[in-house]
Amino acid sequence: MRISLNWLKEYVDIPVDADTLAEHLTMLGLEIEAMDRPGAEISEVYIGQILSIEPHPDADKLVVCRTDIGREDPLQIICGATNMKVGDKVPTAVVGATLPGGFAITRRKMRGIESFGMMCSPKELGLGEDHQGLMILEPDTPVGADARTILGLDDVILDIEVTPNRGDWASMIGVARELAAFYNTPCRIPELRLRETGEAATALSSVTIEDPEKCPRYIGRVLDGVRLGPSPAWLCRRLIAAGQRPINNVVDITNYVLLETGHPLHAFDYDKLAENRIVVRCARPGESMATLDGTVRQLTPDMLVIADAKAPQAVAGVMGGADSEVGEGTSRIFLESACFHPVSIRRTSRALGLVTEASQHFQRGADPEMAVYAIDRAAMLMQELAGARIAPGLLDAYPRPCMTPVIRLRHARANALLGTDIDAETQRNILRRLGFGIGNDTDESCDCTAPTWRPDVSQEADLIEEIARLHGYEKIPVTLPQVRQSEMVFAPHESKLRKLRRLLVDIGLTELVNWTFSSRDNVLRAKLSPEYLDMVTLQNPLSENHATMRSSLIPGLLANAAFNLNHGVERMAAFELGPVYKPLKNNNLPDERMRVGVVLVGPRQEPHWSESLQPFDFYDLKGVAETILDFFDEAVNLCENDLDIFQPGQSAEIQVNGAPFGVLGKVSVAVLKAFDIEKPVYLLELDLKHLLEKPKIHPQFEAMPAFPPCLRDMAVVVDREVPVGKLLAAAAQAGGTLLKKINVFDVYTGEPIPIGKKNVALSLAFQSPDKTLTDADTQKSWDRILKRLEKEFNAVLR
Amino acid sequence: MKEQIEALRREALDAIAAAGDLKALEETRVRLLGRKGRLTEILRGISQTPPEDRPVLGQAANAVKADITAAIEARRNALEAQAESERARAEWVDLSLPGRRPPRGHMHVINQVYDEILDIFHELGFQVATGPDVETEYYNFDSLNTPPDHPARDSHDTFFVKPGVVLRTHTSPVQMRVMEKTAPPVAVVVPGRVYRVDYDASHSPMFNQVEGLLVDEGVTFADLKGSLMLFIHRFFGRDTRVRFRPHFFPFTEPSAEVDISCTVCKGQGCRVCKHSGWLEILGCGMVHPNVFAYAKYDYEKYTGYAFGMGVDRIAMLRHAISSIGHLFENDLRFLEQF
Repeated sequence: MRISLNWLKEYVDIPVDADTLAEHLTMLGLEIEAMDRPGAEISEVYIGQILSIEPHPDADKLVVCRTDIGREDPLQIICGATNMKVGDKVPTAVVGATLPGGFAITRRKMRGIESFGMMCSPKELGLGEDHQGLMILEPDTPVGADARTILGLDDVILDIEVTPNRGDWASMIGVARELAAFYNTPCRIPELRLRETGEAATALSSVTIEDPEKCPRYIGRVLDGVRLGPSPAWLCRRLIAAGQRPINNVVDITNYVLLETGHPLHAFDYDKLAENRIVVRCARPGESMATLDGTVRQLTPDMLVIADAKAPQAVAGVMGGADSEVGEGTSRIFLESACFHPVSIRRTSRALGLVTEASQHFQRGADPEMAVYAIDRAAMLMQELAGARIAPGLLDAYPRPCMTPVIRLRHARANALLGTDIDAETQRNILRRLGFGIGNDTDESCDCTAPTWRPDVSQEADLIEEIARLHGYEKIPVTLPQVRQSEMVFAPHESKLRKLRRLLVDIGLTELVNWTFSSRDNVLRAKLSPEYLDMVTLQNPLSENHATMRSSLIPGLLANAAFNLNHGVERMAAFELGPVYKPLKNNNLPDERMRVGVVLVGPRQEPHWSESLQPFDFYDLKGVAETILDFFDEAVNLCENDLDIFQPGQSAEIQVNGAPFGVLGKVSVAVLKAFDIEKPVYLLELDLKHLLEKPKIHPQFEAMPAFPPCLRDMAVVVDREVPVGKLLAAAAQAGGTLLKKINVFDVYTGEPIPIGKKNVALSLAFQSPDKTLTDADTQKSWDRILKRLEKEFNAVLR
Repeated sequence: MKEQIEALRREALDAIAAAGDLKALEETRVRLLGRKGRLTEILRGISQTPPEDRPVLGQAANAVKADITAAIEARRNALEAQAESERARAEWVDLSLPGRRPPRGHMHVINQVYDEILDIFHELGFQVATGPDVETEYYNFDSLNTPPDHPARDSHDTFFVKPGVVLRTHTSPVQMRVMEKTAPPVAVVVPGRVYRVDYDASHSPMFNQVEGLLVDEGVTFADLKGSLMLFIHRFFGRDTRVRFRPHFFPFTEPSAEVDISCTVCKGQGCRVCKHSGWLEILGCGMVHPNVFAYAKYDYEKYTGYAFGMGVDRIAMLRHAISSIGHLFENDLRFLEQF
């Protein structure tokens, strides 16, 4: 809401400058979004009076004026406008003046005749869009006065954000009231001066409320003899300052009163209402109406409408109807000031997709007392500015009188909650200043009644907040609590995840964080197995591409690889640690579980002068898998499995204790193509749910061996397809108790090994706790291993 | 005989001096002092001489032996020093060439900031709690005193999964999940992803928050101020100014927003703080009695405070990151800067 400081000052004395006021408002809870000084750039503009207008001898479209600005000699000014006449008073910028946008006025010749200034249009002064002609001021405007003061160009506009609980702040009076409480000074609400004449309102119209739940109060007034026309300048200026556009006096007055009181009003053309009466009711099935914006609205029976004897004439609290709109030819007006249930307004506004000033105000709750003031204030202004005659009496249907609750405030409780020591009288005083009624006050407590404009206050904590606010948050002491911890552990896996993340970073991987949105298309493009199509779907996604929650980290990692390769990144060694989502049959909420994904692209090392770059290969990826599983005290077991996403032969399922926990491999060319990637990509994804749940194993000490190991090598030639892992397992088994360790230290194919064969070199470490072993001591074991390899794998010793 | 011994000395010292490397020196040593060496030969010869000459000859021979040994030792040292300096010259390194570094990974800047925030609260005695991203409306809104049709729901543009199920719009639902599980005292911090239908230069539909909740007997607004000021001073530095200003949240009463003096201009006013000198970094307040009612906590006996902060914004402020979009683009050229 835009608050004009000049306007605000009519309601309350402000003892500080604009910047300090902004600070005070902020500390009261009215956040200042922006501070605008619309006339800050304007200087040397005075009120001038046109003394003569002569044609320009050399230009058809220009005239030569002499304008008195209260100095000795009138100024000769060349002007292109046509809307002025001799005697008019206009804002006049003299030589040396500046206008908005830094525009400077200089002495200049126009078609041979000198001009000593410029007479201004509203637009040139930043006072609206009108630049058709000069801004003609009221005849009583003093000549020579500074136009900044006269036109309110010295104003400061405070753009405040009103929190949803404080609908009362969305008005000039509301803000003034708050400041009056803060500065402990009176708030001046404009006095009402109504002259009611003619037939009583009750004889001219009536109000029936069919749904008092949705409309607890409806007030009407009937006005006659209304003359539609433009509003006076002061009113236009205020509307413009508030960011609105003047339309005509009747509309402008309802808008003005809304700005002033925060209470939305509506004016119907009285003669267009069937039987000239109002029925507040829910829409009938199938009913529709055209609203002021020219749209035909389909209404539903949960929507409240303001109808006449026959048909809806307004969507209650949201927008008026086109049929009963005030316009040319209107002379009698039915003025509405009502209170509607905030939820009903909110629902209707949403259902119709129609958010208006009125609906926003009503959604925050209306003050039933302000409703009376607002209608009288509007009637008075229409009388003064539009010649209206006011029919005597209010049509006031008030089936559900506002009940303000009595709330007990315990002064000790306030201090206990705030950590303060504010005495009882100070607490009560704060509340009194804010308009609360105080009764039954003792040393310990008092009973408080909130003013009608504070429906947000319903319990003691609300009162305590008021005390804290006016006392000043900055005055509340600063203490540190004694933090007592709950015995329960709420996130047992958090520290493990943090350690794993640290580990992966420490082994040289960079962490990625993707949005958790995905789509079916992503799953299909990555050729993931069909189970990944079972996804959590969003009803209102950002786009098709973000229509679901992700079921796997893989599509995101592939997209990241593509993005980086396309941006000139050569090497990528990265991981993501985050949740994936899967709908559950018997649960409202999906399964959410942590996964880790790894992506390797490009060279294994950063380039270094000492060595040539080697590309990442499968074993780099497997090494990462081993590191991760080692973190969880598990060994990697890869099960060959030709998954569509990976290249056959470099595609595996990661098993832990026989259960599939993830996949890894070299991404297939088809999938790379689908993601627009032209380099080999190695990818791994591992589900962490069960791994995280595993209790931590604490390694138990084992004495260091007393005797050195006996190290022997064994090289065998086997078929190329023989998995070395099986070879090792068989050897380990055959080796017996003396064989402590077995490693593969070379795998070789090529000359002189026959085609289709490979040489596997094993290093065997034998060790005894009792003595230093010699080759002879280990020979039996060595023979057993060889025999086993010969038998099982057709191995030939080399 | 005596002349022989003297001749050997001269000859030996010449030979030792002539030995060009350690190998030649060793050969010389064997030739002179070895079992079949010249000196051994002479010593053997002494036994053939008349007994009265032997002591003198023996003395002379031993003196020569000592001299030869010393000369060899000296020569060896010299040769070793020479060899060492030759090796050093051969193994000279160019100090200016880049070293061979182990690979370095980079933790995502958001998680670095999370870690730092959580560590500070961990020291204060808070433990970490977490909750699901896909959340019920009950936990996300209703139980936090935000019933359907509450205007506060307007400011949370919510992703819906199905009726009653949303992507959580804040980490606050974890407050209720924790309180349902245990009686006070409760002291938790909650990191987590949150979601709102909002995507432009300054909004990401997924972003990150840290929530805090402390419930016990006698927790005050002053405690809230103290805890958060301690956090802010640790995280942003001791000279950071802090301002608590009234605000509205449905689930706290009284509520506040916390501003810190602008980290860019130190409060002078700049583009980042929109010339106000202040940056809003978190929302907080005393837990609303209605929230306690949902948790079945006794509001007369216990009080509590809660706070929530945007991790992305804090990371952006600290590292002068110009757009939130960078955080989730996963451009390695960005990620490797932190």
